[in-house]
Amino acid sequence: MSFLPVSYQALPGVVAGATHYVLEVMIILTILGVLTFYIYYLISSRKEAVEEAAGKEGYTDSSEYVRDKMYGRKRKADFSMFIYDDAKSIGLRYIFTGIAFLFLAGSFGVMMRVSLVDPNPVVISPVLYDIFLTQHATLMIYMFALGVGFGFAYYLLPSYLRLKKDNMGTLSSVAYWIWLLGGALFVVSRSSMRWYMYPPLSLQLTPYGAGMANWLAVIAMELIFIGITMASIIVLKIIFLDRADDMPLSKMPIFAWSIVFTLIMVVSSDPPLMVGLGMLFYDFFNPVFFTASSNTVLNFAILFWFWGHPIVYIAVLPFFGLIYEIIQKFTGGKVYSYSSAIIGMGTLLIFSELVWGHHLLNSGLGVDWVLFFTTTSFVVVIPSAISVFNWIATLWTADRIRLSTPMLFVINAIFDFILGGIEGVMLANDSFNEIAHGTYFVTGHFHFIFVGMTLGVTMAVFYMLYPTFSGGRVYNERLAKWHFYITAFGSFLMSFSWSVGGFLGMPRAVAGYFPFFQPYQDSAIIGGVIIGIGQLVFLYNIATSWLKKPVTDTNNAFETVEDIPAAVSEAEPLAKDTQAVNGGE
Amino acid sequence: MSPKGKTELMWLLGVSAILVVSAVANIAFIDGHTANIAQPTDLQTVPANSTIINVTGSQWVWEFQIGNQTYFNSGNGHSGALPLVLNHTYTFEVTSKDVIHDLSIPEFGVQSYAVPGHENQVSFKPTKLGYYYFECVEYCGFEHYEMRGYIDVTNGGAS
Ligand code: HEM
Ligand SMILES: [Cu+2]
Repeated sequence: MSFLPVSYQALPGVVAGATHYVLEVMIILTILGVLTFYIYYLISSRKEAVEEAAGKEGYTDSSEYVRDKMYGRKRKADFSMFIYDDAKSIGLRYIFTGIAFLFLAGSFGVMMRVSLVDPNPVVISPVLYDIFLTQHATLMIYMFALGVGFGFAYYLLPSYLRLKKDNMGTLSSVAYWIWLLGGALFVVSRSSMRWYMYPPLSLQLTPYGAGMANWLAVIAMELIFIGITMASIIVLKIIFLDRADDMPLSKMPIFAWSIVFTLIMVVSSDPPLMVGLGMLFYDFFNPVFFTASSNTVLNFAILFWFWGHPIVYIAVLPFFGLIYEIIQKFTGGKVYSYSSAIIGMGTLLIFSELVWGHHLLNSGLGVDWVLFFTTTSFVVVIPSAISVFNWIATLWTADRIRLSTPMLFVINAIFDFILGGIEGVMLANDSFNEIAHGTYFVTGHFHFIFVGMTLGVTMAVFYMLYPTFSGGRVYNERLAKWHFYITAFGSFLMSFSWSVGGFLGMPRAVAGYFPFFQPYQDSAIIGGVIIGIGQLVFLYNIATSWLKKPVTDTNNAFETVEDIPAAVSEAEPLAKDTQAVNGGE
Repeated sequence: MSPKGKTELMWLLGVSAILVVSAVANIAFIDGHTANIAQPTDLQTVPANSTIINVTGSQWVWEFQIGNQTYFNSGNGHSGALPLVLNHTYTFEVTSKDVIHDLSIPEFGVQSYAVPGHENQVSFKPTKLGYYYFECVEYCGFEHYEMRGYIDVTNGGAS
């Protein structure tokens, strides 16, 4: 097995010697060990305190005590969220971990972008570029998008569904830690196999193939999958079995439905890739599954996209649901059509399991499959169009819309989703896909949607919940508006420049490029840096306001139990809680 | 039907009309260009009068073999642009020696994965004179970005 294409010394970049790697492994293990011990210490000392308090009140089971105390309460975000395992604490963990990964992966993204100022990789080495490429995509999807998705589900559903009980806390907590361990190990692996993980590239354990510690990255991915599968099943159980008796499925808030569809998609589409990753791990030692001699190299790509297409919808569907909820809060009315919201998202679930081949149209699937997958890709647009119509119609028919920051983020999300969706339809035309596959046009397509919707709606919800998270602080509304305008403009500039460049054939996932693509790269760099600045404004706003004294009560309109399910309640006078809806000064 | 439902139906009919037009155009394209779509060599016959070019990707070189002539392109050097003749049909038979690559010539809508142990075939006819670039668009490791080069479409006379 000669996977070393070029001798180490022959190429610039990382100088590799055996001692070097042994040292590195030891340092990583030491850091992990120290961290684990520290967490163990914190948890056990906190647990003791909790047990003592529980004992005083006559509880024998401290977790039961915690849940009795915590259940249904508004929860402030502080360190206790890592100790308690009621649904709200778990939710907070996921939300804040997700946002932490957003900033980590975001900084990788900005560095990649900036490194492309020159057509040749002079700013950072191609090896580093490839690592950033892999880490950015994987962490954004699995740790940020899925993380905040689970976070909002765990955090909001107990209020929305008025849970009868909350008894899967320990398992939820285990699922969270497994998922987090997976994410952390993925970073530590410094893998550069891209988020596709295609063998044989991913089997090349060199800095010039796909990374020295790729085996670790594969284990990390398995851990992430175990974590999200467990959490999905638990949340589905919470929704179906634990919601209040007087809440039939037909009256559930739309957000709860969006989570149901998302999680069904997770548990029904991730098994193929989990199996594929297991086989891939085998292949590190004795390549039998995805080897050229057995003519099965593409099989991994197929297992990957079988999950790979659903995951892109998984990363937006919870935000579909949140958009429905936010719109109702800011217009004070019901959603235009409750039933078509559910139908739209449900059919999206079904169709998006049938289009994965549109990511492999040029791989040699054969003409029949190309016909099939391109045609289903047109069909999958209809469910999305149903939701887009519903949002716009709700806004259109509203008496008034309050345009504070969260609502601005939502309007921008809808706008960007339409643009990204149109680009998706273009990509589904085979004549265009032959040109645009593998180019920045694809990058533009999904960044419109991810930055506009996944990031934008996360920020909208974060702002709305901020008084509760922070224990009664308010953020600065002017800075929040700046955050919105800067992010929206930067995101548009970046994705638009990519789309134009990609239209002309500018390849993506490259550390260098033909000099004639420089204008599109440069304007995308400006856009990317602007997005980064926008998030710094957000951090500054949160940090400074969190340091001030609490000035308001910790209610937020987003999870006030009385007016939920918003989908079926009458429009309520909004004046009641204007401050909390705005969340700002 | 309620007026609400009617508005929604109108919108959906409108969107569907656009989608149906795109879908039909797409099907027509695929039907009319089956040779232009990458597919396994054994599933497809080579179009008559076409010149076969054997394309091999490897880390990180593209090699083109026409008869006994070889052209190559990598970050470390190249053998000049790949010469093609205007309005002549070419058939690429694309494969790889190591990992998955993807050969793309955006200007002519030619794209095919290069998969180890598997040969894909794609035919096309250059219809414009001049220099056009090709590139690898499937990430394949360290020097992926340098697997790129030019084709030179001339009036020929040679082949
Ligand atoms: C409106 C319906 C949509 C259609 C018709 C559509 C179509 C497509 C097509 C054909 C591709 C393949 C491009 C290629 O590599 O050649 C693609 C890629 C992609 N789409 Fe969509 N898409 C849609 C919605 C979405 C949504 C909602 C998301 C979520 C953010 C999304 C995320 C992605 C991503 C991440 C990729 C690229 C994956 C990769 O290669 O790394 N798409 N889309
Ligand atoms: Cu897709």
